[in-house]
Amino acid sequence: MSASPRQPSDAAARAGFGTPEERARLKRRKRIGRAFQALTAIPVVLALALIVTLFVDVITDTVSWQVVEPEESGVTWSFAEGARLGGTWEHLVRLELEARGEEPATVLDDPEERRKFRLRNRVELLWWVDGRPFRWAVTNSRDDTVDDVGLFRGLRERHEILAGLEDGQQLRLNPWFDAAFFRKNASRTPMMAGLQNALIGTLWVIGLVILIALPIGVGTAVYLEEYAADNRLTRFIEVNIRNLAGVPSIVYGILGLYAFVRLMNLGPTVLAAALTLALLILPVVVIASREAIKAVPSTLRQASYGLGATKWQTVSRIVLPNAVAGIVTGVILAVARAIGETAPLLLVGAAAFIPRAPDGPLSTYTVIPIQIYSWVAENDREFAHVASAGILALLIVLILLYVAAFWMRRRFERSW
Amino acid sequence: MTKSPRSLARAAGLHKSGRRHLGERAIAALLFLAASVSIVTTLAVIVALSAETVAFFADPAVTFREFFTAREWTPLFPATQRVFGISPLIIGTLMVTSVALVVGLPLGLGSAIYLSEFASARTRRTVMPILEVLAGIPTVVLGYFALFFVTPILRDVVPGLNLFNPLSAGLVMGFMILPTISSISTDSMQAVPRSLREAGYGLGASRYEVVLKVVVPAALSGIVASFILAASRAIGETMIVTLAAGQKPTFTFDLRETIATMTSFIVQAATGDQPAGSIASRALYAVGATLFVMTLILNVVSQQVVRRFGERYE
Repeated sequence: MSASPRQPSDAAARAGFGTPEERARLKRRKRIGRAFQALTAIPVVLALALIVTLFVDVITDTVSWQVVEPEESGVTWSFAEGARLGGTWEHLVRLELEARGEEPATVLDDPEERRKFRLRNRVELLWWVDGRPFRWAVTNSRDDTVDDVGLFRGLRERHEILAGLEDGQQLRLNPWFDAAFFRKNASRTPMMAGLQNALIGTLWVIGLVILIALPIGVGTAVYLEEYAADNRLTRFIEVNIRNLAGVPSIVYGILGLYAFVRLMNLGPTVLAAALTLALLILPVVVIASREAIKAVPSTLRQASYGLGATKWQTVSRIVLPNAVAGIVTGVILAVARAIGETAPLLLVGAAAFIPRAPDGPLSTYTVIPIQIYSWVAENDREFAHVASAGILALLIVLILLYVAAFWMRRRFERSW
Repeated sequence: MTKSPRSLARAAGLHKSGRRHLGERAIAALLFLAASVSIVTTLAVIVALSAETVAFFADPAVTFREFFTAREWTPLFPATQRVFGISPLIIGTLMVTSVALVVGLPLGLGSAIYLSEFASARTRRTVMPILEVLAGIPTVVLGYFALFFVTPILRDVVPGLNLFNPLSAGLVMGFMILPTISSISTDSMQAVPRSLREAGYGLGASRYEVVLKVVVPAALSGIVASFILAASRAIGETMIVTLAAGQKPTFTFDLRETIATMTSFIVQAATGDQPAGSIASRALYAVGATLFVMTLILNVVSQQVVRRFGERYE
């Protein structure tokens, strides 16, 4: 701005108008202006820096260097030795059992033994073991983790750590966010903890949330935009929805605990959680749907009525099809919010440990953010890696949803 | 619009049978039913909170006086050691909220001024959605970040800082409320008409003088409303404080101490398997009711500020 010739004060200053004091004052004002502009840019830079820091912190925390004393064979295999099309797991379990001096068939062919083996062991591709890259290992829940070092510190100090290894110890670069992470469940051992049941739980809960919130939310929006008369009741509903949007999420949890878990006697189930979250996102769905419906020009409605269509025919065949992009965008954003909600579900009984994956609306459940919470609350360095792996999974899901919403808005945006 | 098509149709003799009418009416009724869910929700929240809160105060172990004046909050202790004074939770909540506002207000207002007044339209279009990402990050993730990233750094700088403390939680929360302040304030500054700015320039004001003395005062109602809304968000925030500020109700104003907030107590009471109807479980509802009333007042005030003091420029 300072070099802009359009500012008369600039021209005046260059031309040497005014007394020296006036010119000095002008200079000072311009200096303050520049400083002020730079000052207001700082928060934006800070906020962007925080986002980047958070993502980098989460991602680097999903990898760690560990000094491990393996309980069993401690043998690792190169990537080529271990990988088999369609049967990597079987192949490595066989190799491991042979290395342990056991007969592979007794475990692999007996379903009960197989299940027990799965509960205690995990097939992993470690990025680095004692100087060799990409090694397969079968880890055991009783493996002793002697030390756990962050990615960057480990990179700097790995030679010292390697030199200090005792007999039977290995230095591993362990990626916590790997395929095995999605095939394991909550566990007291960090190495064995994973996200499978939580992922299934989130799918169940969110599926039901959409089934409940979508018809009610869109119905409310259609009622308010197309049917409601302009009276006190309508204004009350509008104000009420605006106020509901500002109610803290934990209060919805209290409502869910009182009404769904206890009064309706649903207990800590998928359905109770879905009902709670549906009420929580309802205001967002209503507000977004109303905006979308409002954007449909009234000439379209008039044309429909002119052709003899009834009100519902007009709404269902003209208004809603033209508003669908906006509605879907709003629902995606609302769902993104529901997926990350933790506090209300802590109240309606999401458990950190559940025996098996939910298989219906009335089964007990856990969801991704609840698992993350329980891992963070362990306040243990190894569990922090598990938590960051869970966070990475959650953030990836959310980013995909945001991109989908952004794409929908771009793709179907219409101007009338 | 409701009447004209129908009466037109009737006049033209196109009026159809009653059955079609019945269907139309049923649909209208269904839609009204959907709309009434929001009212039922509000009623249910009020009933749930007040029923159990009344039961809480009806208990002989609890008195109003104690609730508002005692400096200890120990409903989860054995029966003989229970004290029900909510002040430690309120102070804890206000401490975290104050830190969040001290961080969030200047950052939010600064970024709003930058985005509305100095940034190019293209910068604004790219930066604003990225800022919204901050509001979209699940708070359990922000709690993790506060506990494992911010707290260790702060403990190197601040002597005597506990592992769980309101400072680190409030700092991260300040960034959480930044987008709320920034987006509402940007909108209200953008709504200030060009003619006002031009008048400022015409009087010889420089750009920053116009921003500070014309635009910000003209948009003040929206800016203040965004501050109040942000405060309400901060008070109701749960996961960041539960993870990073602790769950130990302490009557203290020291930002380095482990504390508990209203929300973190609710989580603690809910996850501790308190039997329904016990005094500890009812304490949860009493704290919830306090929280609900506080946030509701702030939200209503925020809306009133816009309605009362909002200037309309057309």
